[in-house]
Amino acid sequence: MLIEHSAYTNRWRRVSPAAKGLFSLCGLVAAYAAATPAAACGSAAVLCVVTVLGAGIPPLRYLRVAAPALFFLAVSALSLAVSLKIGPSMADVSLHLARTGFQRVAQVCGRSLGGLAALLFLAMTTSLIDIIGLLRRLKTPEVLLDMMTLCYRTLFVFSEAVHDTLTAQSARLGYATMRHSMHSLGGLVATITVQVWQRSQALHVAALARNNDGPLRFLEQVYPHSTRDICLAVSGGAALVALVRVIS
Amino acid sequence: MHIMEGFLPLRHCIGWSVASAPFVAYGLRTINKGIKENPEQRMLLGVATAFTFVLSALKMFSVTGSCSHPTGTGLGAVLFGPAAMAPIGAVVLLFQAILLAHGGLTTLGANIFSMAIVGPFAAFGIYRLAQALKLPFGVCIFLAASMGDLLTYVTTSLQLALAFPDPVGGFAASFAKFAGIFAVTQIPLAISEGFLTVIVFNALARLNPQELKDLNVVTAKEVQA
Repeated sequence: MLIEHSAYTNRWRRVSPAAKGLFSLCGLVAAYAAATPAAACGSAAVLCVVTVLGAGIPPLRYLRVAAPALFFLAVSALSLAVSLKIGPSMADVSLHLARTGFQRVAQVCGRSLGGLAALLFLAMTTSLIDIIGLLRRLKTPEVLLDMMTLCYRTLFVFSEAVHDTLTAQSARLGYATMRHSMHSLGGLVATITVQVWQRSQALHVAALARNNDGPLRFLEQVYPHSTRDICLAVSGGAALVALVRVIS
Repeated sequence: MHIMEGFLPLRHCIGWSVASAPFVAYGLRTINKGIKENPEQRMLLGVATAFTFVLSALKMFSVTGSCSHPTGTGLGAVLFGPAAMAPIGAVVLLFQAILLAHGGLTTLGANIFSMAIVGPFAAFGIYRLAQALKLPFGVCIFLAASMGDLLTYVTTSLQLALAFPDPVGGFAASFAKFAGIFAVTQIPLAISEGFLTVIVFNALARLNPQELKDLNVVTAKEVQA
């Protein structure tokens, strides 16, 4: 996972997640506050530069992470640009480019780029454990936090189990044809489904052995310059929103 | 197909989040009640969330020969119940946004509504209806998984059409346009997911019948059949 790798290796790893969350929120506000596509693209560019130059994320990795979302945006923009005209009969259906819709497509694309850049800033600079810690401070329901923590800790175990099983099945030509592929994938999912119960039982027994009496508790991470980081993030974020409003 | 970050207008983001919130809250209430009665469910649901996340990352061959990912809405709804699937889906979609940049934070409400609410509830309803009609177990599972998948994408089309009505034909033309685009990939994919889910349940019934009986997914008679 490229995002996960960046979240643990970037320059701002030790910066308070609250500060990064606030700056990302300001980025989202800027994307929605932009009245013109150019302003929204400007906001996206600023966020992109801050992520790459500030947090030290390699540009190529940034592009690789953004590529699927950009592909979705391109397809969606094309869908928005094309207008469907339905005539009186069902056979009288035609597609044409709606010229009046171009401004709307540009606005949506600009906003999406701004939003994506804000999301990538948070995702590529902040680990999920830090985000869960932040959500804990924001009083998110305990059961939801427990689900997130357990999911995060188990998904790599499952990923490895899936990888190992796929390798073993492939070695036995389990994915040689489409019919074999479907059968092998069905077997794989069934095996992993059973592991859900086996692993959860094992975790429950392990938790009981440690006198677990309910929610999972963790020590909160301490960030040395939290107040300073939050002040900087709010100032930077406010400046970004103001800039977007000015160039709109 | 997740709706990406920033794609929906602000009013729609808020509207879909408000629409999804009661379902997630009801799911959490159900889970909390379940945990009080069976504390081991806390671990089960966390691990089930990881399972759903990993499942959505698996490559699945579509009947058209293309490749995509299963949604797992039908499988999850039958195994864990539709109420639990709302919070599970919410966490999975949040993780997909943060770990994979699929979907987004502002569009989380809309994505939860289509993938974690409509899909699982529709799948579960169809499964129960098919059982009531005494259809064979495999047919019940196929219908639940494929229709759950398909209705998820119908809902996504509806969400996009509501947000971006066609300048000429309005909402109806926009819905036809988005549904038409999705149909090319999603109808074959829904059929593939239906077959895959049947294979999964057949394997479970053959190798792990006790787990299926414990979950009240099947009766002893159905396992033997």
